[in-house]
Amino acid sequence: MTIRTARPNRGQHFRPRTHCLKKLDAIVVEMQDPKNGVKGSEQKLNVTTIPHAITGSDIIAWISNKMKTTTEEAQVFGTMLVAYGYIYPLQNHRKLVMCNDSSLYRFQTPYFWPTQQWVPEDSDYAIYLAKRNIRKKGMLEPYEQAHYNHLHEWLNHKWDFIVMQATEQYKAGRERNKADRVVFDCQERAYWIVNRPPRRTHSALDYGPERLINPNIEEKITFDQHRRINIFYQQAIMRSKVKSSVSLGALVKYITSYKHHDAFLAPCLPSNPWETDHDAYWTLNMRRVEVPTKMRVERWSFSFFELLTDLRGRDDFKIFLKKEFSGENLAFWEAAEELKWGTASSMSAKAETIFKTFLAPGAPRWINIDGRTMGLTVKGLEHPHRYVLEAAQTHVFMLMKKDTFFRYLKSPTYKETQKKALNPEAHNFSSAQLEENARNRSAGIHPIILWQQEEEEKAKAAAAAAPVDVKAVMSKIDRKK
Amino acid sequence: MSRWRHSVDELTAGRQRYQKECERAQNALSRVTSCFQQLVASLGSSADSSYLREEIDQTRALAHRICSGLSHRLLRLLSACDSAPIAVEDRQASERLWVLFLSVVENFLCDLQKAKDLIGQFPLTQSSNRCSLVNTGCTDGLVGVAARVALVQIPWLVLEEEPSPNLTDHIAGLESLLSELQQRVPVAFWSVEATQPAWAEVLSDPDDPDDSLEDIMEVEVVSNSRSRNNVSACCQRKCCRLSCVG
Repeated sequence: MTIRTARPNRGQHFRPRTHCLKKLDAIVVEMQDPKNGVKGSEQKLNVTTIPHAITGSDIIAWISNKMKTTTEEAQVFGTMLVAYGYIYPLQNHRKLVMCNDSSLYRFQTPYFWPTQQWVPEDSDYAIYLAKRNIRKKGMLEPYEQAHYNHLHEWLNHKWDFIVMQATEQYKAGRERNKADRVVFDCQERAYWIVNRPPRRTHSALDYGPERLINPNIEEKITFDQHRRINIFYQQAIMRSKVKSSVSLGALVKYITSYKHHDAFLAPCLPSNPWETDHDAYWTLNMRRVEVPTKMRVERWSFSFFELLTDLRGRDDFKIFLKKEFSGENLAFWEAAEELKWGTASSMSAKAETIFKTFLAPGAPRWINIDGRTMGLTVKGLEHPHRYVLEAAQTHVFMLMKKDTFFRYLKSPTYKETQKKALNPEAHNFSSAQLEENARNRSAGIHPIILWQQEEEEKAKAAAAAAPVDVKAVMSKIDRKK
Repeated sequence: MSRWRHSVDELTAGRQRYQKECERAQNALSRVTSCFQQLVASLGSSADSSYLREEIDQTRALAHRICSGLSHRLLRLLSACDSAPIAVEDRQASERLWVLFLSVVENFLCDLQKAKDLIGQFPLTQSSNRCSLVNTGCTDGLVGVAARVALVQIPWLVLEEEPSPNLTDHIAGLESLLSELQQRVPVAFWSVEATQPAWAEVLSDPDDPDDSLEDIMEVEVVSNSRSRNNVSACCQRKCCRLSCVG
């Protein structure tokens, strides 16, 4: 038994993007028509002949005739039929494409057609694997073996049922005549290749999370819904608008700067871990890496926001500010962030320290904001809440962005970092190496270890950071004079 | 004193006989459901016929009889567990049987629902309906399967011949049976363990002429790929590392 039957049925069992299946059913049934459907021939095997084998070119010709489209579109449609599992190839059963030549296909029996209502269950797959195991005496494909071992572990409580059912199904299958047995085995194999695809192959049946609404039923919109739709559109018309040339220009500018950094559009160096199972990219771009990669450093120059949000960039910026003795702006910004995201109980204590350190007249790290903002903030601090420093924080952010950021980009610190940045070589894995990588996938660094590292760094930073006393520096300069 | 022990021994012996009966019924139910699956797999295909539909009904009726009898007996077995002193192994065996029975019922329910859908989608009421049956290459060779079903024996006497329900009622009945059984008896199904290790079923069937089946299908591939050139014309370009279902 499965947990699924014990759980209450909350009605979320419609798979999205599969409501085309009803229409596909109708088309496949039309293909069967003896007068107007697809013409079949016989498949000759060693001991027997099996009818109803159809060639790819026939199917594609029928589709382009029926739907009045070009051959290319008909071929794509045919490939979709094969990928969904309505038709299976007889010659290369692993490659689920429709070829426009004399390669043979056969229709799948409706029992194995994809439906919207039910997913192919794991226990069914386990029974199939056990049956195949019996038939092939243990010679399963490696991905099938991996699935088998996994299912043996997870379905251990009903494993006896699975083996018994597999044996019985195997014996029941033996009762049929030879040709039908071959056909049934081909059908079952095709079904499970579609629904449990081998590693690194696409599955056309990928859908997202299950939905509450049945996409097949037509809903009638009520009067009240119409009224609300009308109000929504009227309000939308009255909103202020931006010229599309302006917004498109902004979008184009964004795309030109970011297009080389997008992992979907440009190859990611050294290699995309989701494709090659090698996590060099992640280790090279970690939070506290000594030498960042060139792409990362380039990204910091795009905008001040990028520099600040990448914590490694923020560290670099801090080093620059320390040389310039103007770290109080960034320190205030970070303190305000901490207040915004921190716990409610620590808020009043944090607000106190921030006031004493940054805002009070004569404070050790006094920030230079305009009088109006200062007044508002100090008044707000009497009753501190999470966003009391929002105005001051924005002002400080703009100060840093308009002035310090550009100086940083021209500074020797940044240029040094740019020079030292790594540019890793692209990996070039053979398929054997890819299999190896897939086997060696590890769980990565435990979050507790990362957290411990953070705590150590924070402790070190707190101990080492003596707030730069402006008065001491000023007096030193005075003495020098 | 000895009389008490004698009655306890009788009780355990009776219990074990009861258990063996349930196990035989479980095997029978497994056989019937697997034959049912073979029959349902041909629904809507070129092997579909009214004979097939009748066979499906009869198989269903037999499965219904075994199910109801077995559910009553298992309920009695497991609720008797609580009253009389029972050995741990006996209790575990009963629980194992319970989990296996519920798994078979779930599996059978899935097949029933699929059968209902397929019968609705491919009705055989008129002769013109036969045009819409899918040409799958199967001719009707299901007599053997039907005969296999007919040979299944229920290990207890069926005294009352209650009429077997139609498909919709059968499905509803099984669903309510499942939920009722799960609520009545608290069995932790995850504590049941398999009796045989993984890959053990490979050694089960020594006399097996069926390796020829794979060879039949293999020979076809090889001969055809030798006649045309090895690389099929469609997927020539080397896509990214994700092989297109290759």
